[in-house]
Amino acid sequence: MLVVYVVIWGSAVVLGLSAVWGLVWAIRTGQFHGLREGAESIFDDDEPVGTPTDFFPGAAPSARTASGNNVRAMEAKWRR
Amino acid sequence: MASVAVPNKPEALDSQELLTRVQTDRSCRQTVLIYYTSAVFWLLLGSVLAILASLKMHIPGFLADWEWLTFGRVRPAHLNSMIYGWAVMAAIGTLLWLQARMGRVRLPLPLLLPVSGLVWNVGVAYGMVAILIGYSSSTEWLEFPVPVLGFFGFCLVLIIYATLVMMMRRKVHHTYVSQWYIYGGVLWFPFLYVSALILTQAPHINGTVRAIANWWFAHNVLGLWLTPIGLASAYYFIPKVTGRPVHSYHLSLLGFWTLALFYNWAGTHHLVGGPIPAWVITVGIVGSMMMFIPVTTVAINHHMTMLGQFSHLRTSPTLRFVVFGAMSYTLVSFHGSLAALRSFSEVAHFTHHTIAHSHLGVYCFFTMMMFGAMYYIFPRILRREWSSAPLIKIHFWTTAIGSIVYVVGLGWAGWVQGLMMNNPDIPFMDVVKYTIPWLESRSVAGTLMSVGHFVFAYLVWRMLRGDGADQQGPTLLTTARSLRKQRERKARARERAREVA
Repeated sequence: MLVVYVVIWGSAVVLGLSAVWGLVWAIRTGQFHGLREGAESIFDDDEPVGTPTDFFPGAAPSARTASGNNVRAMEAKWRR
Repeated sequence: MASVAVPNKPEALDSQELLTRVQTDRSCRQTVLIYYTSAVFWLLLGSVLAILASLKMHIPGFLADWEWLTFGRVRPAHLNSMIYGWAVMAAIGTLLWLQARMGRVRLPLPLLLPVSGLVWNVGVAYGMVAILIGYSSSTEWLEFPVPVLGFFGFCLVLIIYATLVMMMRRKVHHTYVSQWYIYGGVLWFPFLYVSALILTQAPHINGTVRAIANWWFAHNVLGLWLTPIGLASAYYFIPKVTGRPVHSYHLSLLGFWTLALFYNWAGTHHLVGGPIPAWVITVGIVGSMMMFIPVTTVAINHHMTMLGQFSHLRTSPTLRFVVFGAMSYTLVSFHGSLAALRSFSEVAHFTHHTIAHSHLGVYCFFTMMMFGAMYYIFPRILRREWSSAPLIKIHFWTTAIGSIVYVVGLGWAGWVQGLMMNNPDIPFMDVVKYTIPWLESRSVAGTLMSVGHFVFAYLVWRMLRGDGADQQGPTLLTTARSLRKQRERKARARERAREVA
């Protein structure tokens, strides 16, 4: 029975405190400021806003290069 | 393992961000591959078991002579294979990759995390054998015997550790909304699993109290583990694939914190009408109603982000699955809140309606979301394209149509079944006979979905064998920008060639 009490009350206290800690941490480190930049944090200069990143195989705008012929020829030139 | 495949073309790496992205993706390769390929294996096994269980509902004598293939064992084996084999392993692979991607850090523990994937498989295999030979614990969603906790516990500790290490080392100060969901899910699920196991297996907890602990757990696996990981994927992939930031970032954060506050209370609505204190059920119903807030925020956000972007559905395999999953999330959540009401449960409870609802959640929402994530992640960790566009389309349409037929058919049949059972003038056998055609339609739908799974497994197999076109530059699935860079490189190369000449 002791185990059960420890599980119920212990986890209630630990999880409650961790949630409060998480909220306090988020506010103190400014996680709720600059939300526009936050929304754009998954983009970067290489994959900027406005650039789709996923296509069916062969259907990408550069299907020619994906098939590799041009690029391989280019590489051969570089090696020389 | 820590070594990073740096492409041998210096021109290809003129961007530091590109290099970082290649390195983080590469660092996830072993771990994510082990979790993903195992997940696909359990998905196939779970599908076969599902078809067996479904056929037995309308052909009772089918394979009933072997005790290990009787309905009472096949059905929990299907459930556990799908939840602990497929869903959890796919979720772990996805969350580790997302966490590394969003923090722009490499995945830590390059040796222990792949090992944890193997250990998890041993745990699931052990539990599956135990169920099939008759040692199930007979608590729904927790049928695996208690020692399995040892295997799962070991892995979960490592995954919590890896998630927190990536949080400490992250290069991006801002915590993106998907990361909030991941932190939540990663910290809640181990606690849920351990406490539910103790609360359902402790000898002095029995009867209705055990049922309360059981449904608190079963509902929270969906709500506090699969939902956060599924939504984390949606909040990452929809903006990333379309190239358009989340419509309202305020709302997305509000959605996370309200989900954290309310979802945990909702589980006891599964026991409406059961012999437990009425206030326990009422608390569950209130919690379910409060879920309207986070669900509405997610629904508004996903829809508004996609508005005007629907043409991408034609060109992106990831987006097809993810948007199907996001729409199903809205549907299953609103339906779930309504289904918690006593007046609704009066009819729908203890009927096939509930089965339809759970598949709308775990399949149409979560599983489709994970397919979408895998279509994005596999090529990037292996730096190789998928081998066949038509097969991806077959996978999408078989699973989409199959799951819609499944959910609509059983949802309707379950509702009528409930109405008939509430009418004392209708003999019980008439109710049973009414459901049979719908159970047959479930078998057909399930077979269609399984065909999709086998097609997907074949695609993954070809991906592992390297049948797809190799990516030449470090960005896979080329973007407009890398296309421009490629043209610049080509121009430079031509110039150099002219100089040499």
